[in-house]
Amino acid sequence: MINYISRRLLYAAVILLLVSMAVYAIFQFLPFDPAALTCGKNCRPNLIAANRVRLGFDKPLWEQYWLFLSGIFVGRDYGVGSAAFTCPAPSLGYSFRQNACVTDLIQQALPVTLSLAIGALILWLIVGIGLGILAARFKDSPIDTGSTIFVLIGTSLPTFVTGLLLLIYLTLKNNIIPLNFDAYVSVFDNPSKFFMYFLLPWITLAFAFSAIYTRYTRSAVIETSGEDYIRTAWAKGLKSNVVLRKHTLRAALAPLTTLAGLDFAGLLGGAILTETIFNLPGLGRMSLKAVNDFDLPVVLATTLLAATIVVVMNLIVDLLYAVLDPRVRVG
Amino acid sequence: MSKLSQSKRFGRAAIATSVAAGLVVSGLMSSSIGTANAAGPKTGGTLILLEHTPKLDHLDPSRIYTGRDLAFENSFFIRTLVAYTPVPGAAGAGLVADLATNTGVPSNEAKTWKFTLRPGTTFEDGAKITCADVKYGVSRVFATDIITDGPAYLQQWLDLGKVEYKGPYAKDTAGQAAFDKAVTCSADNRTITFNLNKSVADFNYLGTYGVISPIQAKLDKGDAYDLRPQATGPYKIAENTTNQLKLVRNKKWSKASDPIRTPYPDEVIMKFGLDEQVIDQVFLNDTMWNAVNFGGPLPANKDAFFQDDKFKDRRINTSDPYSRYLAFNVKKMPCLEIRQAMYLSRNSKAILDYAGGSFFGGTYSTGSISPLLGLDYTPTKVVGPGSADFVATGNVVKAQELMDKAKTSCPADHKKATVDGLVIDVSQSSTLQDTIPINTAAWARVGIKVTYNIIKSGYYSTVLNPAKQNDLSNSGWGADWANASTVIPELFTLEGGFNLSQNGDDPAYKEFKAAVDVAMKTTDRAKQAAMWKALDKTAMERMWILPTNYGKSQYIWGKGVGGAFFWQPQGTLAWGKLYIK
Repeated sequence: MINYISRRLLYAAVILLLVSMAVYAIFQFLPFDPAALTCGKNCRPNLIAANRVRLGFDKPLWEQYWLFLSGIFVGRDYGVGSAAFTCPAPSLGYSFRQNACVTDLIQQALPVTLSLAIGALILWLIVGIGLGILAARFKDSPIDTGSTIFVLIGTSLPTFVTGLLLLIYLTLKNNIIPLNFDAYVSVFDNPSKFFMYFLLPWITLAFAFSAIYTRYTRSAVIETSGEDYIRTAWAKGLKSNVVLRKHTLRAALAPLTTLAGLDFAGLLGGAILTETIFNLPGLGRMSLKAVNDFDLPVVLATTLLAATIVVVMNLIVDLLYAVLDPRVRVG
Repeated sequence: MSKLSQSKRFGRAAIATSVAAGLVVSGLMSSSIGTANAAGPKTGGTLILLEHTPKLDHLDPSRIYTGRDLAFENSFFIRTLVAYTPVPGAAGAGLVADLATNTGVPSNEAKTWKFTLRPGTTFEDGAKITCADVKYGVSRVFATDIITDGPAYLQQWLDLGKVEYKGPYAKDTAGQAAFDKAVTCSADNRTITFNLNKSVADFNYLGTYGVISPIQAKLDKGDAYDLRPQATGPYKIAENTTNQLKLVRNKKWSKASDPIRTPYPDEVIMKFGLDEQVIDQVFLNDTMWNAVNFGGPLPANKDAFFQDDKFKDRRINTSDPYSRYLAFNVKKMPCLEIRQAMYLSRNSKAILDYAGGSFFGGTYSTGSISPLLGLDYTPTKVVGPGSADFVATGNVVKAQELMDKAKTSCPADHKKATVDGLVIDVSQSSTLQDTIPINTAAWARVGIKVTYNIIKSGYYSTVLNPAKQNDLSNSGWGADWANASTVIPELFTLEGGFNLSQNGDDPAYKEFKAAVDVAMKTTDRAKQAAMWKALDKTAMERMWILPTNYGKSQYIWGKGVGGAFFWQPQGTLAWGKLYIK
């Protein structure tokens, strides 16, 4: 197991290195001059040239990449004279658009996105799996019909519509959930405010995801219920919830782990629409702004972060899979 | 300036000028004053400003250029040497002394300007504001690689000889010495003198900008000063995060030292990055009674606000200070007849209708100077309503005549326009997909072919580069202060900061430039205004730009907010006069 984990970690490091090279290279070939984006209307050739030097864009590509990479481990210095400053390790660059070290920006945004993704994940797993099991257990009953309608609506409505409708009807028109444009509060500092802050965004995301998980769980449970070993379990005289819990769900839900892991990783990369509608200062909103502003250090950092999350989540999912499904062996 | 579709169409930089004003044409300013609360202003409460963009362009006073942001910061926490009076109507364009005791004393044919600082003024840490602080603030704008985006007038006008000063951050002995000669402080550290390289009769208007404001050298953090500038006004920054900018009262500010500001709310909080639809819904549902939409309503929601009497005391629909146009690159399009034909064949009505018609969209341009610059404005009668050949849907007959004439007078240019096709630079925006077909079809009526070069980012840095600019470039401009000296020279002289016309080789340029130089020296304001009007007319006769329209902007606020009115010289609401009822 330890060997397996070590090997996967090594692969992950290589993948991330390759991703960072690819992303860095892509930005070099885009048809614009990053130095020209730093000075707006007053951009003149001499100013663009000065900014190119200041930002290090005058250096060869490999050197720029090396500076970026080494900055992660030893930090990086910017500017000259009395305006010089340092972004300490792990430095992912400096955003001249936002006047801040990118690592600091990510440190502010990550807890927001993490809170959003974890809360939504819990909610959609509970609702999606629960409803899916009920629909399978009571197949062709009104519960099943109800779940089908829920799935249809959930998969049809984009999150920006769901979010906006929830915001308008639950908050703006009826004040059932108070309007909250306040800054992010950690769950450890103020749990009730934290829950109110994230309630609508969680519901919005969970609505879309739980619809998919409901459908998936229903199908998987029905399919597994027809397996020979389930018939054997029934034949042994086991109680119905033992058959369901110990035999059916264990097999049916194992593939859901992969799905949930990847969906969760995707959300950690940033739920752009949800964060925008509910004004959550997370990674998604930060990435969107960075792309709009051509704020390359931030785009690079968020892309790398998203890649890291996907790689790490894949590893976790694989390990979990082995625990959930005894047929899978690692080593 | 509101973040409406119009703004987006032009991008940030050109709209990134402060506004215009002066004696305002009252007819254009209809409904620009909200109904005041009968009970009068009150102190206390929290004023909330809801903003769509993820943050303001800048907080560092040396880097602010947009009229709206300048008005916001000047109202609350940044004081300048002189300022506009925050009152409704034309009176708001008048200059008053702010940190200075006077509005500037010119001498030496307006090549030397002196300002004496008012006693009792302090930074938020209690430090007294001195001439050295103002001088240091001025020096920062020369560090153009760090202090970006602010107006560049000081670099153009301060008399540094032939030395290129690099600002206070770099070791630049020669540059610093030249700067120390150009900007001097009196022995008592209270009077600052600016020595200019030419006569600038309205230099004191630049004193309304943060580029001439005090900054303590010991607290300057270069680029990072933008996050937390020291306050000199009645509020200071308590919090600046990705979600909000929170201002609280600056206890070191003294009303006795400030003749302009009358702070009302206890706190002012700007919420950033909100979805525009969400912002509109907040007001449509009266959810936040103490809030103001810092931008403007979405086009789709304008009717909901302006057709419903519920909002009659909580809305403003007014002319904005920007003049929109397509700049002809005269070097690439030297044929006057073709430039004129392009103007006349354009379907102005279709474009204005698309922008919301005259009620929301604005009016047809009659020159390059906005009507809000009342004293300097008059319809040129060369373009727009009142001119002989203007037809809102396009004067195809006259345009065709000009094209036929061009076929013989400038055949190469005619071929380029009708066979090869002209290229128009535009910045990426959501309206392009609708407006491009309208324009293309209109010009096709006289055989002119166009293609669009859609620039996704770095628009102005691209088109201001002569090597990269194409045949025409979409743009917009608002005067930096109530004088067309910040319009005509900026747009149409080679020394100007925003010349997209590349008109230096035009036969009329030399005479035009000489007239501009005379106007810049003219301290008699009425005479100067007459000169700007004449120069505007010349620019239109030479068709250095294709003027399109003067825009409008809209403002909405909650029912618990009082004191809202349009502040003409800043082209936005007078934020500092808002109070919570």
